Amino acid sequence: MTLQRISITTLVALALGATVAMGVSSNLLSLLTQAVVYAVFAIGVGLLLRQNGMVSFGHALFFGFSGYLVGILLQMKVMPAELAMLVTLLALTVMAFLMGLVIVRVPGIAFGMLTLAIGQMFFLTASRSRGLTGGADGMSIDWPATLFGVAQSQLLKPGTMFLICWVTLIVVLLLLTLLLNTRFGSITEAVRDNEERARFIGIRTLLPRAAVYALSACVTGIAGLLSALNTGFVSPENLHWSLSGVALMMVVVGGHKVLWGPAVGAVVYFLAKDILGSYANHWMAIFGIALITVIVYSPSGIAGVLAKWVQGKNAPGTLSKTLGH
Amino acid sequence: MDTSSNELVLDAQDVAIHYGGVKAVDGVSLSLKKGQIHGLIGPNGAGKSTVIDAITGRRRLTRGKVSLAGVDVTDLGPTERRQRGLSRSFQRTSIFEQMLVRQQVELASYKMGVANSGADADAILQELDLMHLSHAVAADLGYGEQRRLDLALALVGRPAVLLLDEPMAGLSVKESHDLAKHLQALTSRWDVSVLLVEHDMDVVFGISDVVTVFELGRVIASGAPAAVRADPRVRTAYLGSAA
Amino acid sequence: MLTINLFNGLVYGALLIIMCSGLALIYGLRRVVNFAHGSLYMLGAYIGYSIAGATNFWVALVAAPAIMAVLGVLLDRYGFRLLQDRDPLSVVLVTFGLLLVIEDFVLTIWGKNNFSMSVPAALNTSVDLLGTPVPAYRIAVIVVGALVAIGLSLWLRYSKIGLFVRAASTDPTTTAMQGVNTDVLSAGVVGLGTALAGLAGVVAAPFLSLSPSMSSDVIIDSFVVVVIGGLGSLAGAFVAAMVLGMIQALGAVYLPDAAALLPFALMVAILIWKPAGFAGSRT
Repeated sequence: MTLQRISITTLVALALGATVAMGVSSNLLSLLTQAVVYAVFAIGVGLLLRQNGMVSFGHALFFGFSGYLVGILLQMKVMPAELAMLVTLLALTVMAFLMGLVIVRVPGIAFGMLTLAIGQMFFLTASRSRGLTGGADGMSIDWPATLFGVAQSQLLKPGTMFLICWVTLIVVLLLLTLLLNTRFGSITEAVRDNEERARFIGIRTLLPRAAVYALSACVTGIAGLLSALNTGFVSPENLHWSLSGVALMMVVVGGHKVLWGPAVGAVVYFLAKDILGSYANHWMAIFGIALITVIVYSPSGIAGVLAKWVQGKNAPGTLSKTLGH
Repeated sequence: MDTSSNELVLDAQDVAIHYGGVKAVDGVSLSLKKGQIHGLIGPNGAGKSTVIDAITGRRRLTRGKVSLAGVDVTDLGPTERRQRGLSRSFQRTSIFEQMLVRQQVELASYKMGVANSGADADAILQELDLMHLSHAVAADLGYGEQRRLDLALALVGRPAVLLLDEPMAGLSVKESHDLAKHLQALTSRWDVSVLLVEHDMDVVFGISDVVTVFELGRVIASGAPAAVRADPRVRTAYLGSAA
Repeated sequence: MLTINLFNGLVYGALLIIMCSGLALIYGLRRVVNFAHGSLYMLGAYIGYSIAGATNFWVALVAAPAIMAVLGVLLDRYGFRLLQDRDPLSVVLVTFGLLLVIEDFVLTIWGKNNFSMSVPAALNTSVDLLGTPVPAYRIAVIVVGALVAIGLSLWLRYSKIGLFVRAASTDPTTTAMQGVNTDVLSAGVVGLGTALAGLAGVVAAPFLSLSPSMSSDVIIDSFVVVVIGGLGSLAGAFVAAMVLGMIQALGAVYLPDAAALLPFALMVAILIWKPAGFAGSRT
């Protein structure tokens, strides 16, 4: 996408967010906030799939870990909350990079199983460490009275919370788009498409892959922080593999070829979950069927369908850039 | 300085590759002069691809020596040999399917260390008739176009030597003809020397300056195309007496 | 107390053998990591419960796996077979979707409550084992596990179909070329795999209660077993199942934290050092 197009899209998105924050009911705002938090989570998982071609069944690890880490740091009262958030993200990213160096070499489904196992180890540890993490009951997070100069009472208002999460989502998407348009993006795409040829043209394939893993972990960690802010609470469920599975479903249904695809998946998930009225009890089956349908008939997800529709309206040959390559 | 070995951009001497009791390549010597096209023919399983793998460093030699422009590169890996100007294309098209055409050629050029990778990419795309597809996704290209893209990736940084492993495989008669013309243009315009493994006899005998015939891991004949074509050993082993 | 704990380890190990052999068979033939296997186990248990309620345990023991077998054949015919040319990850995600559908189905029909299924009258006694009384039913579970292990091994090793299965697991294309109808074979094996999951469910029902969370309780353990045992290797799965059963049972009492983490640590180690079994070599 051209810089101009990116700027316009960003501004429109921000304006949209502001409108929603002011005009929509509190209940709907809470729901939308949750959806946005999960959208960021899903974007992290989707990033790994899009740039590395790798599927992680254990990304909830980063989602929960950031909540726990910031909670523990705040409990220890060693630094201001703003700094704690930053430290959490940095520590998480470094940890993910180191992990990545080891695990991205593992091919195919083995990688997925590996992430599943690692995630479960963290889940079990968190469930059992009553002293540190509050064990299976979870832990509440001591946010201070003011955060970044804003009073907690103001922060917790549904409109404000939504706006914070929405702006974070847009900024994350913006930064990722810019980053992936650089040389780094090309290199990771080459490694993803054809590892042997990439090595042949002189690319050292381990570092870019580990970097993408770390980046996807960071994005997921950001979602974890948002969740911690939104609910004031973190529990082992945030680390469980079923949550990773849900995020993965959002990615697949929404489509992973475009950066914002997983966000669409998150919205669809929450719509299915809450708004389907009397059928709400069966949202799980509905989502399962949607997942199966998408995989069988439309592997590039809802975003893929949307993008094709948009492309059909443009002149042929402008295919690639519109899809957010 | 030994002037005769300077003339040889590529020199493989007594190369052997044995594994698990199989002698895939057994004492092969090949050389390439600047601007030459050297064709390698032989039945399937004769060891031609293995020789290419050996020369590029993708496989280790059981015995023998490979030199590039007089410098011994036997102990160097494929990446180092590439840096020194020894490039290859693959038997199965090996491109970056989801990337754009110009994007991947430019990336390859950049990683090669070419200062102006954009210009290098454009020149190659122009030379191979791919300019109009610069912004297409590689997966959307036709088979012949993808083969040319594979070749483009091998040409970044203007390598001195280009090894081609069955470049005409799967191409129509017209496409083969066009590719052969591109190869001739490359050698004359860009001073690239080409070693090509190929089954298409018309192409090989049509454009090669030297032809070498393989059988069961050994060279059974080598020389000017007409002479090789007439060689009785080659006729019985490979071409069939009607050739 | 050690006896009882070891014994319980054997029981859980036997259960895992029955479940994981199904998982290993499905992977071996279709290269599919069946995320829905745990829910198939659960479905088998609930179906068995209902059938046992209407008739008795023994009918359920036969009928529930039979129903699950049919389901497995359909799953292979209309699921795995149609998706076999897609990348393995797609199929795995489809099994994930299937997991959701089955869980929803179970919740809809049977609700959220836990059920317990009574032990069949014939086995409702205790037997003296080295001075400690143990429930006869649990001994029966071990016996069933052993029968499944031995039966499958013998079948694969010595029967003609077993030969075809082993061949198709190693090289499906050549096997098909030899005239073996790999589609019918696969459907059969997948049906067997799902039947085994169902059997595990019925067998487990009397001593573990039935709850909607049954599937997630076992699925992870099953993956651990199959990975540690070495994929596609039934013998490996049997050994790993026993080991895991022991670790769970002993560990729960003596070293709960380490015991819970150990299997995963092993799984991680194996996947990092030797992921070969999972590396999608089929494509």
